[in-house]
Amino acid sequence: MNTKHLAVRAVAALAAATMAIGLAACGSTDAQSGAGGSSSTEILFGGDNGSPTFTKNFNPFSSSKRTGINFIYEPLMVVNSIDGTEKPFLATSHKIVNPKTVEYTIRSGVKWSDGQAFSADDVVYTFNLLKTNSALDTLGVWQHIASISASGDTVTFNLKDNDVPAVKIIDQQLIVPQHIWKSVKDPVKDTNATPVGTGPYKLGTYTPNQYTLTKNASYWQAGKVAATSIVFPASNKALDMVNKGYDWGYMYMNDVQKTWVGADKQHNHYWFPPGGTVSLFPNLTKTPYNNVNFRLGLSNAIDRAAIAKDAEEGYVDASTQTGLLLPNQKSWVNSSIPNSGVVKQSKTTALKYFAKAGYTEKGGKLVDSTGKQLTLTVTVPSGYSDWLRGIETLQTQLSAIGISVKLNQPQPAAYTQALNNGDYDLIVASFGGTGDVYTDYSNLLNGEFYQPVGTAASANFERYKNSTTDSLLAQLKATSSTTEQKEIVNQLQEVVYNQVPVVGMFYGGLWGLYSTKKFTGWPTEKNPYASPSTWTSQVLMVVTNLKKA
Amino acid sequence: MRYYLGKIGLFLLTLWAAITVNFLLPRMMPGSPADAAIAKLSQNGPVTPEMRASIEAQLGVPTGNPFQQYIQYLNDVVHLNFGISYSNFPQSVSSLVSTALPWTLVLVGTVTILSFIIGTMLGAAMAWKRGSLVDATGSVSSSFFSAFPPFWLALLLLFFLGYVAKAFPTSGAYAATSVPNLSWSFLVDALYHSILPGLTILITSLGSWVMGMRNNMINTLGDDYVTFAEANGLHQRTVMLRYAARNALLPNLTSFGLVLGGVVGGSLLVEQVFSYPGIGMLLFQAVTNQDYPLMQALFLMITVSVLVANFIVDILYGVLDPRTRR
Repeated sequence: MNTKHLAVRAVAALAAATMAIGLAACGSTDAQSGAGGSSSTEILFGGDNGSPTFTKNFNPFSSSKRTGINFIYEPLMVVNSIDGTEKPFLATSHKIVNPKTVEYTIRSGVKWSDGQAFSADDVVYTFNLLKTNSALDTLGVWQHIASISASGDTVTFNLKDNDVPAVKIIDQQLIVPQHIWKSVKDPVKDTNATPVGTGPYKLGTYTPNQYTLTKNASYWQAGKVAATSIVFPASNKALDMVNKGYDWGYMYMNDVQKTWVGADKQHNHYWFPPGGTVSLFPNLTKTPYNNVNFRLGLSNAIDRAAIAKDAEEGYVDASTQTGLLLPNQKSWVNSSIPNSGVVKQSKTTALKYFAKAGYTEKGGKLVDSTGKQLTLTVTVPSGYSDWLRGIETLQTQLSAIGISVKLNQPQPAAYTQALNNGDYDLIVASFGGTGDVYTDYSNLLNGEFYQPVGTAASANFERYKNSTTDSLLAQLKATSSTTEQKEIVNQLQEVVYNQVPVVGMFYGGLWGLYSTKKFTGWPTEKNPYASPSTWTSQVLMVVTNLKKA
Repeated sequence: MRYYLGKIGLFLLTLWAAITVNFLLPRMMPGSPADAAIAKLSQNGPVTPEMRASIEAQLGVPTGNPFQQYIQYLNDVVHLNFGISYSNFPQSVSSLVSTALPWTLVLVGTVTILSFIIGTMLGAAMAWKRGSLVDATGSVSSSFFSAFPPFWLALLLLFFLGYVAKAFPTSGAYAATSVPNLSWSFLVDALYHSILPGLTILITSLGSWVMGMRNNMINTLGDDYVTFAEANGLHQRTVMLRYAARNALLPNLTSFGLVLGGVVGGSLLVEQVFSYPGIGMLLFQAVTNQDYPLMQALFLMITVSVLVANFIVDILYGVLDPRTRR
């Protein structure tokens, strides 16, 4: 009897104590909930996710760096991945002397955030650092550069081949100070706890749950930087982004109109431009996928708009079958290809091509010469729910013309392995979106990347090989004339449109969210001066373009 | 003595087996750490062939044949050297584990012990008053709450108490702007952050202790020695605690040992929901990123603590129940 009472009393006391602590704590730590603070010159940024807390790594070359380094270090030029335009930062201009030589003029009067002067020597030092530590060379600049030299404020790059697209790769290299990095013992493992850069921001406070970047007062274009600080919380759940009033974020939100815009109709906006073409990659080393009529059949059998709508809630469009991202790359469109290359679903056309490939309709089923139903296995990474939704729609569409579709959903790492090794029949993957039309087509089609099935490829996963296409790519790589480039890109579009190396389905979006409550001047559909991605140097263009609201 | 020697021998054998399985398992997963890193990066944008090459060079791949790797691994385990994490390159595994472990130990450990004590006491009381209103409500609510999936309850608490009522913080183990230290204000803040996750674990784990204890106790209450003790006119409380509860406790103690050993594994889903920086979260991150060194260290730590906890329970059993010693 007594014990029961004792137990009950103990529980009651415990509950009371818990509540008391909770209430007491409520009063004392309420301030933390407003992680963004109320200062109107501060950006609350949801673009760096801790797991769940941050590990302090400001090494700009590391694969697990904090994305804040993109506000601290600057490249020679920032390339807008939407349309490929370049904006000068640490270089004022570049000149393509010939397709094998490019000269950069380095900006004068720039200082490192510790007060020391920046010079062309720092540029040469950085590139040589990457040469000696190839693990740091994330852009692969030394796959293009033969040698580098500086004289005065001019840095000259000699390239290995006629290689005009290399310029946009060299552009994007973040430059680090020689006077600091020369004494770093192991630049691959160094975590660069006190980053010194030329950029608009410096590291302010740092805790495992949140760090702050503060404005670099001696920045060379400090007058253009409106926000005095940027706050990076480690936890950026969708509910937090909405409730705590984030100014800038990157996230796929379900029903964005209601969840994000609805939270503050006046200020909250989103911009979801295409960032890549999500496609069905057929394994071109296998039958029937090596048959162009079979691929054309597939391409005509699907309703891309319906797939796009189901996959991404209508935020993105059906893709073209030319390999271009529209509207980003609209200036490249080959006008002789009907409907900008967007293929309309047509059962009759599809059946015509399938018949040419040896598959005929019989009793509602598409069968081969032995009477066996055509069965496709599509590999899609598990956990990519949007892609999966799209593929389920594709499954329904194909079964309507008598094709049975099976899904194979490995873990992301196993998926990447299957993609690299060519261990699939049809696989969902994305291509393009680098901002450079040559790089996009080369990664998709270049025979240079061709690897037999079983050996890991680093691009050209569908294993396409065509000497005519290779020579087109080589010509595109060597020319700096816009007219010639346009002509070659026209032909490359025809290659993708007619040979269907991959079946484009819909655009993978870049899920940019922003609020105009404190700042205006964000990149938008009407003013696409930068992509809404939050992990590249393009953030420099954004922070130098924002104005106080 | 033979009883204890046998237990020690068995412990060492299982320990070796666990260490070996721990070596084999991660290597049987498809895909490499670089594949995992690339899969993660490609969600954000195109991964160029150059980025792949650089990531592979940074992470490196295990060298030597599997046997050499195994010997190297045993040597590292003995020296508690778990190497560098792939997903948090270049942080060492030991530093990651030592940052996450205290959070899990304090949160999940305290709540587990609390839950065991409260649950056992409640169970014993309910059995003693079986058939009463207390027993009936207790039984029903125990089964009700233990059937709650912890992550679902976590989401409910998070949404209603965190976002709607704004009474509790919604993520993390401490305020965004503070750095872990031992000051009074930090400890209060940490306690405040631990209420929702703690409550989730407590509510969902309490039921099994209550029911386990209640059912065992009802069995022992029917035994002759309890009737005998009562007939002897012993104090009710003495009969309940010294006679019935002590014997009913044994099976519960075994499961307590197991659960306590599992505490270091954290509470994966609950930690995930609350972004709590504990071992469960670290483990999730290690597995999704194919982070072999981190995974091995965590699995090893979890297995070893379960084994040690079991071993201690075995030894304790010998003390509590003299019959097992024979």
